[in-house]
Amino acid sequence: MKTILWLMAHTFRNTFRKRSNIILFLLPVAGVLLSAGLYGSAGGAGLRIGIVQQDGADAVGRDIAAFVGALDGVKITETSDADLKDQIAAGKLDAGIAIPAGFGEKLKAGSPEPLELLSVKGAQVTAYVQAMLDGYLNNVASIASETQGDKARFERIYAAYTQGGFKVDRERLNDASNVKDTTYQSLGFLVAFIMFSSVNMSEMILREKENRTFLRLLSSPVTARSYVAANVAVNVIAMMCQIALTLTFMRAVLHIDSGVPVMQLALILVLFGLGAIALSLMIVSLSKSKGQSSALQNLIITPTCLLAGCYFPMDIMPDAIRKVGAFLPQHWLLDTVNRLQHGDSFGSLYMNLLVLVAFAAAFAAIAIFRFSRNNDTRSFV
Amino acid sequence: MNIIEIGGLTKKFGDFAAVDNMSLTLKEGEIFGFLGANGAGKSTTISMIASLLRPTKGEIKFLGKNIAKHAHFAKMNIGIVPQDLAIYEDMTAFENVKFFAGLYGFRGSELKARVEEALSFVGLGDKQKELPKNFSGGMKRRLNIACAIAHRPKLIIMDEPTVGIDPHSRNYILQSVKELNRMGCTILYTSHYMEEVEEICTRIAIVDHGKIIADGTKEQLKAIITDSKEIWIDVKSVEGLNQERLKEIRGVLSVRIEEQRLKIQSRAEIANLNDIVQQLIRDGMEIRAVEEQAPNLETVFLTLTGRNLRD
Repeated sequence: MKTILWLMAHTFRNTFRKRSNIILFLLPVAGVLLSAGLYGSAGGAGLRIGIVQQDGADAVGRDIAAFVGALDGVKITETSDADLKDQIAAGKLDAGIAIPAGFGEKLKAGSPEPLELLSVKGAQVTAYVQAMLDGYLNNVASIASETQGDKARFERIYAAYTQGGFKVDRERLNDASNVKDTTYQSLGFLVAFIMFSSVNMSEMILREKENRTFLRLLSSPVTARSYVAANVAVNVIAMMCQIALTLTFMRAVLHIDSGVPVMQLALILVLFGLGAIALSLMIVSLSKSKGQSSALQNLIITPTCLLAGCYFPMDIMPDAIRKVGAFLPQHWLLDTVNRLQHGDSFGSLYMNLLVLVAFAAAFAAIAIFRFSRNNDTRSFV
Repeated sequence: MNIIEIGGLTKKFGDFAAVDNMSLTLKEGEIFGFLGANGAGKSTTISMIASLLRPTKGEIKFLGKNIAKHAHFAKMNIGIVPQDLAIYEDMTAFENVKFFAGLYGFRGSELKARVEEALSFVGLGDKQKELPKNFSGGMKRRLNIACAIAHRPKLIIMDEPTVGIDPHSRNYILQSVKELNRMGCTILYTSHYMEEVEEICTRIAIVDHGKIIADGTKEQLKAIITDSKEIWIDVKSVEGLNQERLKEIRGVLSVRIEEQRLKIQSRAEIANLNDIVQQLIRDGMEIRAVEEQAPNLETVFLTLTGRNLRD
């Protein structure tokens, strides 16, 4: 055990002595940032509406602008008639309303002019505000109709309407789809980087074979088994730190709620990480040089991550490719997370977890078999 | 006492026997020379002594204990200096030796003391904090040795420790080997440089095709070939030399050409020098010097294996 700890400390020092390895270690965090940038900006930022106020002298005209501004998820900006279209075209505003001069007077007279929202994004964006605005204007028009030109009465009822309290129970339903997409793709990047990072750490075995220190290590009281065990232990610790760091970053800095309890998510990721380490050992055991393992790593990790949906959502892929994805461990991890996000219980997903364990066991078995069959010490002496 | 006893040792890679039924003993306190051309089986034998390879057949005993069953004991007491450098270029000399010595269980002040002792021994005491990538070839070789001796092994296996280094470093290493031996270490030494082996080894084994074909002191080995002699003839140019006619001369065993020097091996009891010189004159050679050599290790090796050590 003392020797394994000595080897672990050496592996840690040697790995993180290189700046490039520190960068590789931190790549999952960068992946989450990238994912948040790609998916986090889609929707959910609120509606930006420009108001052209040409009836500012009238209280009703001013109240219309205030009403729109008070709507949930709407941010208003006062602008001029000349700038409104330009700002909408430039994407600085999502929609615009022009309140013409004398609009308030006509409304009080019971003959309101229709107020239309100007937008290039169509009803998908404006429907909610248009409906709320129409409702407001109809109510004011009804008051006008009821008071039949009696200004004093109108003002009194209008004031009671605008200030009057009525109880509305409001339940806010969050649109979690965007957050889930961000989480899903963030985990996709995390998975890919964990795999690359694992191979990089396991490659230390090949580096030590190439610089012949492996021979010296094995001629000391260190056994090949404890040497590999120390490498795996460092790999596991590094992988757990990567997962903890990434999940903390997602939650504490980017405020991304994955929709899955953090411990469950961490457990699934660690399970997958063990498979990634076993795969990295398999790659190393199949390679005679670092160059060979790098080629093998690129040949295995990048395409499988693409096929399993780590970089792009599986939904956009053809059906045949989706079927291929089912044979990849990355797919089973992402599928488990997806199902948990959609309300499946952790216990009901035992088959997914078993598949992940099976992948890890299969890779490890191949690696152990290859290591035990390696009789090529001649090349190290 | 025997430090190493090898009995019936065989190592096969497929059908090829790299080591073939080898038996050998090394006594404590010896500097044992292990001579053989490339592929003769030296490195495979060394790998098995260092527990890096499992024998196909036979056994190796270290201080009376079978190393297959007592690998830890053997490894704790053996230091290996590989032919190729086995050091970390991006770790300082001190860190290199410290790491490898740490594998033998040393920690704290004892570890520090052993590292400093090993580095001082190889003359790198003042280079502890420097990176090997800034070292000369000779300094790297010395660091390679320091990494193998910090745990004070009883047996040190040195595989071509002086390959490709300057004469000063070579001399330093040879003196270090003698010093280690004086301090009580047994040395198993392989080299392509026959003169090194002759200078430092107390006993020598010649390996060929995985077998020990001769084993003994320098004198014992030279005595094997008292029936032959070597004649060196320096000529101005070897152009026009007819080797076949030389070989036809009675008693001539072999003819080798090394630049402007002919090395003719001949049976000792036959006086054929005149015939050889006359044949060379007939071939138009301009003779500069003639010298009859007493048998040396190189002659012994050539006679026994039929090839040069560097073949």
